[in-house]
Amino acid sequence: MKFSVNWLREFVDLPDDIADLLTMAGVEIERIEERGAKIDNVVVAQITASSQHPNADRLSVCEVDDGSGTKRQIVCGAKNYKVGDKVPLALPGAKLPNGLEIKKSKLRGVESEGMLCSPIELGFGEDASGLLILSPDAKIGAPIVDLFPADTILDVEITPNRGDLLSHYGLAREISALTGKKIVGQAHRLPAGDAPALQKKAIKIAAPNECPFFSARKIDNVKIGPSPAWLRAKIESVGIRSINNIVDISNFVMLEFGQPTHAFDADKLKGALNVRMARDGEKFLALDGKTYSLKSNNLVIADQERVVGIGGVMGGEETGVTESTTNVILEAAYFLPASVRRTARNLNLPSDASYRFERGVDPGMVLRASERATELMREIANAKPAKEIQTGGELPANPPDVSFDYEKSDKLLGVTIEPKRVDEILIRFGLTKRKLDGLKPSSSTGEGRLKKEGRRLKAVESNERESIERSARWGVPSHRRDLQRDVDLIEEVVRAYGVGNISGSDRSRFTPSSDADREYNWEAQLRSRLVAAGLLEARTSKLIPRNAPAFSDNAVTLKNPLSEDHVALRPSLISGLLDVLERNVRAGAEKLSIFELGRAFIPPDAKEERHLAILLWGNASAQSDWRTQTNRRLDLFDLKGALDAVVPQLSFRKWSYPDLALAVEVWSGDRKIGFGGQVASTRSTTTGPVFVAELHADLLLDAHEVAKKFRELDRFPSVTRDVAMIVPEKVSHEEIVRVIENPKTPLLESVALFDLFSGGEFASAEKKSLAYRLTYRERSRTLTHEEVNAAHAKIRERLREQLGAELRE
Amino acid sequence: MSHPLEQLRDDALREIDSAPNEQALEAARVKFLGKSGSISSWGEQMKSLSKEEKPIVGKLLNEVRTAVTNAIDARGETFRSQKETESLAKIDISLPGTPNERGSLHPLTQMLDRSIAIFRRMGFALADGPDVEDEWHCFDALNTPPDHPARNEADTFYLPDGRLLRTHTSTVQIRTMTAAPPPIRVIAPGAAYRRDEVDATHGAQFHQIEGLYVDRNVSVADLKGTMEYLMHELFGAETQVRFRPHYFPFTEPSLEIDVKSKALKGGEQWIEVCGSGMVHPAVFEQVNKARGDDAYDPNEWTGFAFGLGMDRLAMILFGVPDIRLFAQNDLRFLRQFA
Repeated sequence: MKFSVNWLREFVDLPDDIADLLTMAGVEIERIEERGAKIDNVVVAQITASSQHPNADRLSVCEVDDGSGTKRQIVCGAKNYKVGDKVPLALPGAKLPNGLEIKKSKLRGVESEGMLCSPIELGFGEDASGLLILSPDAKIGAPIVDLFPADTILDVEITPNRGDLLSHYGLAREISALTGKKIVGQAHRLPAGDAPALQKKAIKIAAPNECPFFSARKIDNVKIGPSPAWLRAKIESVGIRSINNIVDISNFVMLEFGQPTHAFDADKLKGALNVRMARDGEKFLALDGKTYSLKSNNLVIADQERVVGIGGVMGGEETGVTESTTNVILEAAYFLPASVRRTARNLNLPSDASYRFERGVDPGMVLRASERATELMREIANAKPAKEIQTGGELPANPPDVSFDYEKSDKLLGVTIEPKRVDEILIRFGLTKRKLDGLKPSSSTGEGRLKKEGRRLKAVESNERESIERSARWGVPSHRRDLQRDVDLIEEVVRAYGVGNISGSDRSRFTPSSDADREYNWEAQLRSRLVAAGLLEARTSKLIPRNAPAFSDNAVTLKNPLSEDHVALRPSLISGLLDVLERNVRAGAEKLSIFELGRAFIPPDAKEERHLAILLWGNASAQSDWRTQTNRRLDLFDLKGALDAVVPQLSFRKWSYPDLALAVEVWSGDRKIGFGGQVASTRSTTTGPVFVAELHADLLLDAHEVAKKFRELDRFPSVTRDVAMIVPEKVSHEEIVRVIENPKTPLLESVALFDLFSGGEFASAEKKSLAYRLTYRERSRTLTHEEVNAAHAKIRERLREQLGAELRE
Repeated sequence: MSHPLEQLRDDALREIDSAPNEQALEAARVKFLGKSGSISSWGEQMKSLSKEEKPIVGKLLNEVRTAVTNAIDARGETFRSQKETESLAKIDISLPGTPNERGSLHPLTQMLDRSIAIFRRMGFALADGPDVEDEWHCFDALNTPPDHPARNEADTFYLPDGRLLRTHTSTVQIRTMTAAPPPIRVIAPGAAYRRDEVDATHGAQFHQIEGLYVDRNVSVADLKGTMEYLMHELFGAETQVRFRPHYFPFTEPSLEIDVKSKALKGGEQWIEVCGSGMVHPAVFEQVNKARGDDAYDPNEWTGFAFGLGMDRLAMILFGVPDIRLFAQNDLRFLRQFA
């Protein structure tokens, strides 16, 4: 909400550091805007003649009357004026906010005795399009400062619990509590003795749970017209448009006291006002010109025929105040926050009134606001108010007392604050300290008592005082319904005392690590392995578009998505990675090797799993290198290599999946832990093969060993033997290794493929050539060539017999 | 008068030292130490020496042979190292090194890791909870009344089955307390979601670290000390930290935390980084109700809680101007944090 500093000053003295003071007390100032003129030597002048500049097409020469008796000649570049307009004139010697100093000078050979100003030149807003045209009422020669008194506008973020701050009086009251400066003026008090009589139960409230109290005052003989300048200036200074005097008064009172009121055209109402719930489907034309279809949970104000207002939200167009209105009925009511919030949201119709009712208005201010508006209507619109105010229902009682334990407060804040200081703070916030039950006021000890008794009483008294000092009961003012329990009062204490005055303490505690700790460590390890393998980590959105091109079947969709980009919970991380691929390819990337580790949401019930996904595309090296002749493309075996970096000893089985042209299942031991393969080209717009894999990382975590186990280092040398063979093309590497390793030869330590060739003549013969290096070792001694040769010969024999391999010597 | 062997040694050493190349050195070696070299032939002559002379000459012969051998080795080494140096001198050392393709962690991960490391030093354990939550954990248990604006479909993503995407990681406070009695000292990193229009500072999904410490006599002073330590560790010891009263339904008092540091983007401005406060007794009461006991008696236990916006912290720390860069994963962006 916007606040005018001038307006606040009508209630309380402001310190210089008002913005800091409020911000540090939890009332955050979001923006400070300086308004108005702070400039000397700028006066109201009337343009009395204007002619074309003889030497410049775009300039004119004006003759102006500045009230001094002699006309001035001014050269001017603007076009938006006509002769007779009143405009601001900066006289020689004026210094404008932009730093420009005005001097008498010649412009293209023509004398100019000052400058006519646009709004931006005077520091008002951003408008530089032409001169600031002043009101015809402006007095010629008057300092511009008189027309635009300087003001500072504070844009304040009021937290939802502090509805009491949504008015100038309310914020002033808060400032008074924080600074200790007294509230000045009496505008907020009901005039003593002169209060209008209440005609109770005159208004029927059929929904007391939504509207506990409603008041209406007939005000006759109003003269509708534009508001006086002061009223207009005040509401406009905080961003409310001036409409007419009656509507402006209602808005003014809301800005002043925080209580919305509404004026009906009394002659357009059909019968008595009443408060009820709407009927389902009931139609209502609101002041915003739109027709709303109401529901039975919307509270309305009605006459005998129709709805004339939505309770706490907006009045009706048909019964609103217009130029022809002569009698009005002024509504001031207390609507419950939940009711107004529900209706304003259902109808998507937030208003200045609903904003305040939703946050809770002060029951103590309802009738005062009605009275204040009436006073102003009498004063400004010549109105004749009825003697009585018709009401229905009861205003809510004051909030219950809250007990406050001084020691508990100190403990929670971590600082000792004197009870006296605490009391002072709470009293300034409008709370009342209750006397403890059963305790007489301590001033009852008078003179003339026996000294002995006096001493005894003194002792009792000090005990009593101690018990009072430990805790106290506090009465809460009507505007602070947010103060419900002791911690709420403690917060008030700390706001006023200053959090900055509490010094931080270094309190810690040994904590055993949790499952989440172990999972985090494991994740960190997975990530660092992939980073070490040269992959970049991506983090994509868990919300994916409605029609993600792949890997998103049956994704659980949101009931109320906001944009088409964030519609469903990702069942797989791959759709996000494919999106990253496309973006990077568009940006000119030639290689992408990325991974993501994060949550996936498995249909149909969005079960959360930790997934690890990898995507590889493009060249094996990011840049071409002077030592490598060719830059090959990343392929399925790079993907397998990356997976090996994460979990050793994975196995892969052929699979089929619609989004993959080549699909494999990834197995760890006897468990399927994920899948991978080459993305079907129909599912990706990227040129060249894209390889992806996704693992269910929670399963890896289960198998994760906390600490590696040491194995004795080999003390005896190994012997290697190579075997090169030509086999039919369809024989797989896996089959060859199985033949080599089975039956198990105890001496054989490892088998490694080191050459593969299947091109040229091999291709046409449907054969391929492979070469393996076999490592033999006996852990307890050095092998002899004879035993290695014997073992190796057996393996060669098996390859020949079982696979029909042609072995090369 | 010197022994002829000594004369021979001196001749040999002279010849070796003046050998201009490896061939000349090899020739000298053959001449003196070869099978029929002049030093080797002395071995034959030994046989004819007298018993008295034998040991003396034998010793001398050994010394001469060692000296000549060493000299040849040394001279040979000089030639080899010269040759090596000459051949390597031709290498253009300005050629680029073999590219070493480094991977990298996402900047948000780095931010999380840094923060978590600091909290762990202070004795916080990790805790976790699901992204898809129910209204009770996200709102009711956190003292947010049924008609509170945050619960509205305009601000919160709902699933068709009535569950929702948590709007803050504070849900983990509730999950942790319902699962275990106090004391509790945990942080919970995780994603949260708000139905906000996406722009430079807002994403539909964001990352938080939730913190909760419940113990006897936990105070605002402890909250301040903890968060001041965190901010100083994250942003440097000269960082100023201020605590501003605010409002959250689930803490009372509630404090927003601002930091200011010349080292950060934004320089001399206070930047809001964290919401925090003392756990509201109503939250403890809800937890007790769910637990069916009085483990979190608000008269015995107090606690502080906080929610740190990781995206925002990362933007501040790394000087990233637009939150959307984190989700776009442009290589040119990611590589900057390698």
